[in-house]
Amino acid sequence: MTGAAGLLLAGAALAQVAVRIQSPSPDQPVFGATQVDVGVSSGEKVERVEVFVNGKLMGTVQKPPYKFSLDVGDDNIRREFRAVAHTTSGIAGTDTIVTVPVQINDEMNLKLRALFASVATFGKSNLALNQEDFQVYDNGVPQQIVTFGRDELPLTAVLLLDTSESMQGERLEAVRRGTRAFLDGMKPSDEAMLALFSDRLLNFIPFTSDKKELDSAIATTQAAGGTAVNDFLYLSLKLLDARQGQRVVVLLSDGSDVHSVLPASDVLWKARAGQSLIYWIQLGGKHKSFTSAWRDFKGNDREFDELEKAVQESGGRILAINRIDELEGAFRNILQELRQQYALGYYPTTAKGDGKWHKVEVRLREGGGRVRTREGYADY
Amino acid sequence: MRARTEGKHFGEPLVWLAAVIWLWAGQTAWAQGPAASTEARGRTGSLGSLGLKAGAEIPPEKIQELYRKILSDWSAGQTDQAPDELIELETAVAVDTDSRTHKILLKEEQAVIHQVGAADIEALVPIAVLHHEAYRRLLERHVRGHALAMVHTRNMAKDLALLYSEQSGSEGAKLVASRLLTSLGGLLLQSAQQLPAAEMFQKGIELDGRNIAALLALSTVYEKNAQAETAVKLLRQALEIEPANAEARLRLALNLKRLDQDAEARKLLAGLMADKEPSWVTPLAYQELARLEGDRKKGAAEAEKVLRQGIERFPDDLRLRIQLAAALDRRGAPGEATALIEKALATSTPREAGASRYLYNAVRADEFALTRTFLDENSKSRLQVLAQALSAPPAETAGTGVAP
Repeated sequence: MTGAAGLLLAGAALAQVAVRIQSPSPDQPVFGATQVDVGVSSGEKVERVEVFVNGKLMGTVQKPPYKFSLDVGDDNIRREFRAVAHTTSGIAGTDTIVTVPVQINDEMNLKLRALFASVATFGKSNLALNQEDFQVYDNGVPQQIVTFGRDELPLTAVLLLDTSESMQGERLEAVRRGTRAFLDGMKPSDEAMLALFSDRLLNFIPFTSDKKELDSAIATTQAAGGTAVNDFLYLSLKLLDARQGQRVVVLLSDGSDVHSVLPASDVLWKARAGQSLIYWIQLGGKHKSFTSAWRDFKGNDREFDELEKAVQESGGRILAINRIDELEGAFRNILQELRQQYALGYYPTTAKGDGKWHKVEVRLREGGGRVRTREGYADY
Repeated sequence: MRARTEGKHFGEPLVWLAAVIWLWAGQTAWAQGPAASTEARGRTGSLGSLGLKAGAEIPPEKIQELYRKILSDWSAGQTDQAPDELIELETAVAVDTDSRTHKILLKEEQAVIHQVGAADIEALVPIAVLHHEAYRRLLERHVRGHALAMVHTRNMAKDLALLYSEQSGSEGAKLVASRLLTSLGGLLLQSAQQLPAAEMFQKGIELDGRNIAALLALSTVYEKNAQAETAVKLLRQALEIEPANAEARLRLALNLKRLDQDAEARKLLAGLMADKEPSWVTPLAYQELARLEGDRKKGAAEAEKVLRQGIERFPDDLRLRIQLAAALDRRGAPGEATALIEKALATSTPREAGASRYLYNAVRADEFALTRTFLDENSKSRLQVLAQALSAPPAETAGTGVAP
């Protein structure tokens, strides 16, 4: 009897916590970076709200607003979102919605393309737009936007820092300060990998949210050796392949590649085929022509140009820094820019997997805003 | 390896003096040392064991006296002290702001050398090596603000070596001079002065056509300046002397590749891969053969095969894994590519791998080590000769060293 009474009480209490998943909408396809908004109404204090996707706990928020920035992956599948609100007395309320996969025909390439776009209106960043405000064109063909996110998207970053001999002393100190500024701006849902390189990998911390671990690796690494940008940029892009959501390589280097086994054309290919952004902080200003036992002047100039091209085509950009005291600001600017991007996902209807270049264009349906995103991708 | 030339006394001091002046005339082109900056960092103007101050007025006879003392210390085996004393003397006398000071230094040192050389020409070897050592220390300490003194001491080392070789005329003297010039070239290369370095190596080869270190170093200068044909010629010469030299074989292969002589390049690289005793060159042979194959139409599978063989032999070589991952990615096997890199980062010690590409482009510490050991041995074996020459009474014909 006691057990039955208990069940009844629990049932009555449950009724006191009303939970509603406000976003995403049910019966809509959802992929990649996704914002989940949960509304909770309760007679007593809510201790925490949890969100599960297909049974897996994806996030916990302890106070309103109950907004979750999640990365649910790029697979075109049905997803069950369940929100559970717990009160201080242990009472829980739940809501569940189900999102559906995109209906596609057999010939369609299943690879979701993610575009990260910055929008500026009258020179100022504009983050007030909605999915309906955007139009995506792939080789001139309008596409259906299936995922949409803005602001506070979980970020996966590779901090690829040149710690070759020429970075000794003040320069390395400035790099440490700049990297700390970037780490300080990271949110708990963000992750970073650290790769300190010269002609070899001097230190490496795999993807983690532990800022202390990342910071300590930077503090203890000594600059030494030559420079192999291509090899380690390729490695970074490759490791980001396996990650989800907004992916970025922040490359800092004071010079050009000398010692890589991979040509810059491999990096360019990777940047075109992949979905990661590359930001290159060029310390020391413009490229100076040089020769080495590996390449002559022309060869080195060509490598430099291709590397710049890879950065631009990835949708990232180059920040040329002439003074080391500008470094910290450069790291902050990159993080700020990443925070102010829209994530637009679509399944290219024009995809054939033939390796050909697809020109991508993102337009605003109305208004005079300026959109910046990657120029295209290689269809692999 | 050690060479000892037969002692040969100067019979004709005027010939000797003329030779010194003639050799010295060539130095103006070199007067652009690495330390042309007048930056104060690393100045040696502070008082050393001789108590001299840069720019201080030192009477000519005092310069000679101090130079003799330094040579005497060197001959007594004070190998730490004597080069520093020489640096102190030369940086005190030769100041960048007044080119005349250099002439004074030269004149007074020549006077001593003339006397010592007239007593026994073999004494020139340790003196040349002393100047070489002083120059090496100046570079190592990144001394700034003493360009004139640096160029002076380097030229003293070079000219003494050439003079010794010319006056002695023996094969052994040529070997010594060749090694000294090669070592000086190495020091110049380390301070990124390729042209003067190349001239040193060239002269070193002229004196001894079997000087492997000079042949390799000169070929590298040509290689770095996109003159693959000349580099190939020098490397073939090196391999005639030392057919198993792995570095020469690799450099030859890469220069042949630049000249589109792929078949011979491929053969050389495959030969290096087959070497049972691996060196820093061996992983490069795998990398470069894979690149050679990968550049060829339909060569991707062969490149992949070479890289897999390389990884089997050098499992910790991260660069080979990166290269294979890129090949797999292109082929459409991205999963395997990722796994390859992730495994390398998780299980191996990549921090040390990959330095071989750096070594190929760098002036390595070991490159001139044998050359310097040879010089040290030849200098040490003549210290007694130097001591005796310093105590010998001045020859009648010996003047002050001033050009007539």
